Amino acid sequence: MKFVDEFRDGDLARSLATQIAALAEPGRHYKVMEVCGGHTHTIYKHGIEDHLPETVELVHGPGCPVCVIPMGRVDDAIALAKLPDVIFTCFGDMMRVPGGDGSLIDAKAEGADVRFVYSPLDALKIARKNPDKQVIFLAIGFETTAPSTALTLMRAKAEGLENFSVMCNHVTIVPPLKALLESPDLRLDAFIGPGHVSTVVGCRPYEFIPAQYGQPVVVAGFEPLDLLQSIYMIMKQLGEGRAEVENQYGRVVPWEGNMRALDVLDEVFELRPFFEWRGLGFISQSALKLSDAYADFDAELRFDVPGVRVADPKACQCGEVLKGVIKPWECKVFGTACTPETPIGTCMVSSEGACAAYYNFGRFARSKARTGS
Amino acid sequence: MSANPPLQVDHESYEYACTVVDGCLTCGDVAVPVTVVEASQPDAICRDDHDQQGLVGVELVAPVSKGDRLLVHGGVAIARLEANA
Repeated sequence: MKFVDEFRDGDLARSLATQIAALAEPGRHYKVMEVCGGHTHTIYKHGIEDHLPETVELVHGPGCPVCVIPMGRVDDAIALAKLPDVIFTCFGDMMRVPGGDGSLIDAKAEGADVRFVYSPLDALKIARKNPDKQVIFLAIGFETTAPSTALTLMRAKAEGLENFSVMCNHVTIVPPLKALLESPDLRLDAFIGPGHVSTVVGCRPYEFIPAQYGQPVVVAGFEPLDLLQSIYMIMKQLGEGRAEVENQYGRVVPWEGNMRALDVLDEVFELRPFFEWRGLGFISQSALKLSDAYADFDAELRFDVPGVRVADPKACQCGEVLKGVIKPWECKVFGTACTPETPIGTCMVSSEGACAAYYNFGRFARSKARTGS
Repeated sequence: MSANPPLQVDHESYEYACTVVDGCLTCGDVAVPVTVVEASQPDAICRDDHDQQGLVGVELVAPVSKGDRLLVHGGVAIARLEANA
């Protein structure tokens, strides 16, 4: 398949791995964070870490949109889903995210009309078909997903649909990166930038990272060779003492992003003063809410929501995993009490979550390495 | 090219792409390359590389023409791709 097979070529992968190893300075340890959960998934699925020198450590970042949703927001969603005459819609992974008292899929089992959709446009279609019901869409995701919510709201407004609303949890990528860079827990050398978010926002938003923090950023695609090439580009920058934003995913990501999508986001959304991120706490101006022009479609204004903050279970260490402070297998409940079938934390829910990705792909290799078999 | 006619699906039939068992494409920030089969606004009929065909919102990359390659996330095209991508 075009643009898949050539990015999974084993010979090229080994060649890149050799070049990366050659760039690693003896005695130096490199910490590179892949921001996006899609990259984490590829790293584990294709065993990228096995091709790297031990001194090049990949740290998994907070770029899984499901993983960063705090439990209180899940409880708010469940409260909305249980209202009479409501059809509650969300993406598939959100169904299983645990709140303080169950998940949306539990609410569905108890009789709430909760449906999963692939696109916000599906939710709009459900609203058109069910004029006697209130249809609420739980919007999550970074700038990749926010444009589809924005377009859906623009269509709903143009049609004058009064039975459609959105509970908005869209987040933005730059503020958590700033929070990580300011975190005393974590010392990073470079970032692998998110590919599909950058399709929308472009590469310019990351320029503050080399400018203010002196760290390279390479925006990367999602195939194994994309990631290896990005790590090579980072190692080359570090070796040459450079710190720049580079675009490895140029076949998809324009440097300036999608200006029309950015205009649409500006029209439909505005920044929240602050928003709680699971594991990272409250980060100012890190999430979106509906703008005044679209306030009529804001589910949190149309309906009462509890808005109660819920602390994560004590045993759960998603916060440390999301900040890259610990590896998934270092969490006390990883693979025992917390599995993809019975997740305690969000990182075990989505296939992009570091814990789920590691549980599904990485644990066998680690187990093999430990036993030497 | 498959000998079978493309499977015609609408958004709601796309549930295979967003399941609680296999994980959700949209949650995972996965974007899917498609080819425009029939250009129209605001939705164009597009076909993915697995011969699945459905409606895609194309306002953010308009105007589109038959044969254009687009990158789709959550039912909406967010970027144009090179012709052979």
